[in-house]
Amino acid sequence: MIPLLILSPLILLAALGAVWKARPVHAALLLALSLALVAVLYLTIGAEFIGLVQFMVYIGGVAILIVFALLITRPGDEAAELDRRPRSLGVGLACVLPVLGLLLFAFSKGLPASSAVEANPALPVQALGRELFENSVPAVLTVGVLLTAVLIGAALFARETGDKPEPPASR
Amino acid sequence: MRLPALIGLLTGVLTSSGWAAGTRPLMLTGESLPLLPQHLVEFVLETVGAPAWLVTLGSLAAAAGTVVGVFLSAFALLSLIERKTLARIQNRIGPNRAGIFGILQPVADGIKMLTKEDIVPIKAEGFLHLLAPILIVLPSILALGVIPYGREWNPVPLELGLVFFFATGTMTEVAVFIAGWASGSKFPMLGAMRAISQMVSYELPLIISALSVVMLSGTLSLTGIVANQAGYHLGFIPAWNILTPWGLVAGMVFAIAANAESNRCPFDLPEGESEIVAGHMTEYSGFKYALFFMGEYLGLFAISGLGITLFLGGWQAPLPGLDFVPSWIWFFGKLAVVIFVFLWVRGTFPRVRIDQLMRFAWLCLIPIALLTLPVAALWKFSGEGALGWLLCSAVLAVPFIIITVIFNRRMAPAIRTYHYAE
Repeated sequence: MIPLLILSPLILLAALGAVWKARPVHAALLLALSLALVAVLYLTIGAEFIGLVQFMVYIGGVAILIVFALLITRPGDEAAELDRRPRSLGVGLACVLPVLGLLLFAFSKGLPASSAVEANPALPVQALGRELFENSVPAVLTVGVLLTAVLIGAALFARETGDKPEPPASR
Repeated sequence: MRLPALIGLLTGVLTSSGWAAGTRPLMLTGESLPLLPQHLVEFVLETVGAPAWLVTLGSLAAAAGTVVGVFLSAFALLSLIERKTLARIQNRIGPNRAGIFGILQPVADGIKMLTKEDIVPIKAEGFLHLLAPILIVLPSILALGVIPYGREWNPVPLELGLVFFFATGTMTEVAVFIAGWASGSKFPMLGAMRAISQMVSYELPLIISALSVVMLSGTLSLTGIVANQAGYHLGFIPAWNILTPWGLVAGMVFAIAANAESNRCPFDLPEGESEIVAGHMTEYSGFKYALFFMGEYLGLFAISGLGITLFLGGWQAPLPGLDFVPSWIWFFGKLAVVIFVFLWVRGTFPRVRIDQLMRFAWLCLIPIALLTLPVAALWKFSGEGALGWLLCSAVLAVPFIIITVIFNRRMAPAIRTYHYAE
């Protein structure tokens, strides 16, 4: 409980910073920080595997990807301030409110009695793997196909059109 | 052997001098020698009557301190050995001014780095500029903590050691980005992008080749992976993963990717000193610059240690009769050999160009690394014997030859004409 009390305000602060910071790179780094803190939260409640994978995927993958996208798609514009017009506030609210409503709905259905939750579930990796690749194979395969499709799509988008700037050929 | 005798003498002195008189006798054998600081701290704290949590904390701090101390000294030593070895390869003398044979060179380097002016560019972001070197060193030290160095010397025996290792490795990429961006200049930014794209590309073959080991060991714990490589075939051939067809290929892919991941020549594009600007560390000076190098060398130790753990049998002795030598000595012996090979490679191969680097990772290493996974399964189901060798070698050789032929013929970049440097 104590790690939760310490970490959750920090996570919230980092996330708010990610929204409010004017420079996009700062926002991306704060987002990475908040994701890393979530990973720490997982580690403190004994979900080691998910914590480490969160770290690997979100810090090593997603955060780096965001940073790359920021710098490659807006060359020379990285110092520009993010759009802060009311329109983006409206879009933000439209995104946040359903999630908030869903959360409130879930909580109103009743929290699991906090005393009943084991302090340390200690799920071995083998059990996790068995659950994923034996009982939930269709879901895992679907996600795999989806990701492959995304990858191919991304490759198509990234493909250069027109003449490729080849290095000067010899003679 | 002189070493066991020495250790025995040390044991005798320590046990007779009253260290062992406490509540828990200090067990000191050659095997547990590296645990001495930890045991000493525990012993002192318990004699003083410290609370249990303090004893645990002190013990953990001592264990961490041992690892950091050992590898920081190794870093100092390596910086000299590397320069001497490279000098030998390149037919030079190398450092020879500080102390006899230049053995005081690391001290001189350290003093030089500490007394240099610490320059922070006006356009740099102060806090992030400071944070980056720290974030570079941190993951390497964290990763060093999970490697089993000996039968008993195993600082943090995590069940998910391998995942932890790679999770810490991802922090380096963020640190490199922060370093490049916070410097507030174009060149570090470009260098950081170059470095990150290299790291991301070579992380894939690294992880995939490690996966085949995980697949056949059935565990993610590094201690478990080492235990799986115990024993000897035919009484004298160690049962290490490198001595199987898939392990040989995966081990080579791992070594190449590790070389690239720790930014060493021939893949040292992030900071090729003699040809291109020093990448993300262009705007750093003084000890912050030294921290980048420290992080790089600690990372080299960590990834070599992981390679030894995965493929070279960890701390296992190479021959059956040699178990009397403490296991951590075997580990560090293997580490020395592996590091020497890295130095040799650095002294031998020319630096690759960035397009060659990317092409090599995506078209050559990743397909071969992916191939080791089914081959490992084939090895498992074909009985792990002569038949397995035959089948696996065939399955590995055909695509390997095809890939290399295609790579050489069609994919190889056109020979460049150097317009201004002829």
